[in-house]
Amino acid sequence: MVASIIQSIFVDPWPFWAGGVVIGLLVPLLYYYFNTALGVSTGYGNLVKIFLPSKNLQWIKSKYAETFSWRVFFIAGIILGGLLSALLSGNFGLTAEMGRFTSIAQWPALLNALFFFAGGILLGLGARIAGGCTSGHSIHGIANLHISSILATIFFLIGGVIAANIVRSLFLGGGW
Amino acid sequence: MNKKFGFLLFGILFGFTLSRVGASEYDLIVGMFIGQDYKLVGVIITAIVVGAIGMQVLKRFSRPVISGEPLKISHKELKKWSLLGAALFGIGWGMSGACPGTVLAQLGEGKIFGFFTFAGMICGTYIYARLKENRPEL
Repeated sequence: MVASIIQSIFVDPWPFWAGGVVIGLLVPLLYYYFNTALGVSTGYGNLVKIFLPSKNLQWIKSKYAETFSWRVFFIAGIILGGLLSALLSGNFGLTAEMGRFTSIAQWPALLNALFFFAGGILLGLGARIAGGCTSGHSIHGIANLHISSILATIFFLIGGVIAANIVRSLFLGGGW
Repeated sequence: MNKKFGFLLFGILFGFTLSRVGASEYDLIVGMFIGQDYKLVGVIITAIVVGAIGMQVLKRFSRPVISGEPLKISHKELKKWSLLGAALFGIGWGMSGACPGTVLAQLGEGKIFGFFTFAGMICGTYIYARLKENRPEL
């Protein structure tokens, strides 16, 4: 009994509803404890301040006065959570695999790196122009019934569907 | 509870959950966009419904915030370019198979190319900061 509970929490992949319930509960819990909205992408501004020269950037200076704010701790926590999940399920290990992308496309590592780096640039730039990401807009915003977040999410999905289908037909054709 | 320590703990729960449910898997995210695997749609919709019910319950508490201050819900207004930004974000999401939260879980799991998505995100945020210098409307 206990062994099977441990197995299903720490080893087996969770069913969709289990993940949805925990992530959904974060929205009211973060308000209850800290009166703060769930959101991840804003914290990347703190990372800019930590890792890149940004002394002359007015936006960073005014919005990120405290370099190591709670947002950095949230980001660090998410990384640790991923690490914990991988360690406890026995899946941890540095890997150059990225699902079907690396197994089908078979690009040289440098090209893979550039591709994911380019995707990251669009994520970072796009999230700031949109004013939030999957957690801030799609989960927190829609849970609070904000029209702006519903619209942003529709455009997230449009971009994602277009990009993924182009990548699939150009680079993963036939294999998936 | 100290806010930084609290967010570290909630972050661990968030990252652990994203990883356990498979949201940090390239195949699940891209599979959703190409219509092959709708597990993540189920995760997102469940999260929205649970979050919405949770917020309604919270608003009925006599003390919705533990400190006693009034509940202050953050509302993101759309600006002129917001939806273009959202579409760019979506393209990045579909390319990398990750978003700003799940890429962090990928880092913890040891996915090397996740590191490049992550580095790109920091650079993308930096590019925004540079653009913002001369374009306050962004």
